[in-house]
Amino acid sequence: MNSFQLVGPAIKKLRRVFSTRNRKVLYSLLLGSLILAGAIYYGLFRFLDYVGRAPMLGETLGPIVGSLLVSKLLEMLLMTVFFMILFSSVIAALSSLFLTDELTVLMSSPTSIGAIFRSRLILMTVESSWMVLIFFMPALLAFATALKANWIAYFIFPGFMFIFVLLPNLTGAIAALLLASFFPVRQMKKVFQFLSILVLTGLIFFLRSLEAEKLLNPSYFKDVSQYLLSLQLPLLQYSPSTWLHQASMTLFRNNTGEAIWQFMPLFLVTATCFIIVNIMALKVYRYSWQKSMEAVDNQVRSLEWVRCAITWPFRFFKPDFRVIASKEITIFMRDPAIFSQIFMMAAIIFVYGYNLSILPLKDIPTLYSGEINDTLVFLNGPFIGFIIASIGMRFVFPSISMEGRAFWAVKSSPVNPRRILQIKFIVYLVPMLLLGVILCAVTNSVFQVSQPVLFWLSYINVILITLVITSLAIGVGAIYADFAADSPLKIAGSYGGFVYMILSGLYVINLLALESYPMYRFFHSRFFVVRGPTAMILLSLSAVLLLACTAAWIYLPFQKGLETIENYEPE
Amino acid sequence: MNQNETMIRFSEIKKQYGDFSALKSINLDISRGELFGFLGPNGAGKTTLIRILTGIIKPTSGKVFVGSFDLFAEPDKAKSMLGYVPDRPYLYEKLTPLEYFDFMGGLYNVPAEKIQQKGEEMLKIFSLWDRRHELIESFSHGMKQKVAMSAAILHDPEIFVVDEPTVGLDPRSVKLAKDFFRELANRGKTVFLTTHTLSVAEDLCDRIAIIRNGDIVALGNLEELQKRASMPGNDLEAVFLKITEEEQATINPV
Repeated sequence: MNSFQLVGPAIKKLRRVFSTRNRKVLYSLLLGSLILAGAIYYGLFRFLDYVGRAPMLGETLGPIVGSLLVSKLLEMLLMTVFFMILFSSVIAALSSLFLTDELTVLMSSPTSIGAIFRSRLILMTVESSWMVLIFFMPALLAFATALKANWIAYFIFPGFMFIFVLLPNLTGAIAALLLASFFPVRQMKKVFQFLSILVLTGLIFFLRSLEAEKLLNPSYFKDVSQYLLSLQLPLLQYSPSTWLHQASMTLFRNNTGEAIWQFMPLFLVTATCFIIVNIMALKVYRYSWQKSMEAVDNQVRSLEWVRCAITWPFRFFKPDFRVIASKEITIFMRDPAIFSQIFMMAAIIFVYGYNLSILPLKDIPTLYSGEINDTLVFLNGPFIGFIIASIGMRFVFPSISMEGRAFWAVKSSPVNPRRILQIKFIVYLVPMLLLGVILCAVTNSVFQVSQPVLFWLSYINVILITLVITSLAIGVGAIYADFAADSPLKIAGSYGGFVYMILSGLYVINLLALESYPMYRFFHSRFFVVRGPTAMILLSLSAVLLLACTAAWIYLPFQKGLETIENYEPE
Repeated sequence: MNQNETMIRFSEIKKQYGDFSALKSINLDISRGELFGFLGPNGAGKTTLIRILTGIIKPTSGKVFVGSFDLFAEPDKAKSMLGYVPDRPYLYEKLTPLEYFDFMGGLYNVPAEKIQQKGEEMLKIFSLWDRRHELIESFSHGMKQKVAMSAAILHDPEIFVVDEPTVGLDPRSVKLAKDFFRELANRGKTVFLTTHTLSVAEDLCDRIAIIRNGDIVALGNLEELQKRASMPGNDLEAVFLKITEEEQATINPV
């Protein structure tokens, strides 16, 4: 059997997922994805087009500095994609290469170890990368359009991305093989904690060393030439994202031959990693897998005091609430991969907060200052919403599936499914709301808005988005529950996880669309005051529609999830 | 305590999966203090009926009464009277046995002190006390079965429902389990169990039902079943094989 035949069952499972779904739901999902992708693509294209021209810097300097800024943004985006996939892939590799149930059958069969390894590698690459790619692809293509790339670039760029995505996965597989050779895989919690702290600390130091705020403010530099030079310097020398960035910029500027040449280092490094990982697999994979079978988890003592402190307040609640909430938190904290995910989310929150804090808002000319600050505050809520949605996808969405095959215990108990979902909703809503509101308060403090009402609006947005996102995570998580899945990461990266992210994005678009009229009026009122019953009616209508839509967005997924759970028949 | 009180009543229970009838039309009454065995070949519908009784799955039609409560009209009250041990003990693997008891007890509204006391007692009976701080994921199938069994009686249910109680248990634990079921029945609790181990059913059960292809084909105590199979004095195994083969021949005549 070769590697591709071994991937067969996963492909059949995927086909079954699509063939058993309601066609209308699939088409609606496709439409929703296209709307979201279109919104990201068009919104970013307009932004990049504006930044590329940088009209405030004049007709001569503007396009020069602007195109360098666009290039820098692409470099940052590619670096983010690379590190996100790299970080996910180490955990995905440990799970795919060592912890899946079907490995027991495969390892006891006469199939070659190389074929088994490569089949797991294919699966983990798809699992850890597909969603990141789908969500970043419209953004990356917006760069191509903003830089006026020709049609050939749109065909070659996905090929570049394929190799680029393969590399962090190969690196993750090498790291997993190495780790598994030295540590028992099933007792990796401490290793994960250590790695996560290391990566987070590294990321913070790296971002600080970039001093990106200086790039946004020419007054930091002695003269324009030094400023331009600093914009041209790569963030990281000899890194895969820098190689892809250089090749992509050349490709988008329609120099295909040169782009392929610049891409060669990345291709060669990936090919080398592929050879290394195959040799390593032949040498150590079977041995380290056997070793992983010998070790058994027993990590109950780890961070027990944190778990006890978090669950302590629940003793004042009703017994069903107390035990379901405590069980949820206990299982969450004992998942070996969860800490790496927490640190990854912490890194994203840090990067967002940090980037806002270094924006030179005070240096912006007074004429633009009000508009830019007001717009950023208005957009702060939806941006935080996307962060909350990512957190929800990793931690809340898998919560129903993580009941696993033990769900019979809850289903046969006197506690009804509605109560179970309500408890889960509250348990996850509270920390998500706290995080959202704190993040909003911290980031809002850097803005100087013309009207305090905008601050309140951003808080309202965060609260509404968090309510909807938590309900979506619980509801869609129940609809697409996979009680046989062994890791929350796999559940988050499933078809259902994709549906949840699309729906979260669509709600944010829905919210922005309904608030666009009041915001338009708000900005307009600077120049002339608008009075009259029509404006008031339209403003009230926007508010009522927003609340009604939000209520529907909260109620419908929850109700649909509840129906699914009520009709679910455990094994 | 009224020994003739009906504790479980299945009325016209049917379960359809597409064109396949898992249960055709089950009518069955089980009394208080009865140790009732439900036997049948693989795929006959035993587990389906147990899952309907515990509210895990819904029948296509029919009613189930637990005590005086309609399971589908008052599920919380009916389920409070049941303690269930499934055939495959899938438990929350990241909990310790005591945490699992706390969870299960909480779902049935049992006071924390009682959970602690009962849990401790059961772990000692099943020789798991020394492993109380370990996660369930490190337990063998039999140990998980013992944890599931212990958790099922924390709320002192009136009806104890057990699917394949002896699978995965060592001989000492099988003996313990059998004594335990008998003691429950002596205390006026109703025990409803399915098993493939016919000797267990023969030793324990007051009444036995044999199900085949979704239909109850024989019902009564051992003597009545022997009479039904025209095999007086034979053991349950011979009786069971005769009845199920006869039924098969009726369905598929040569």
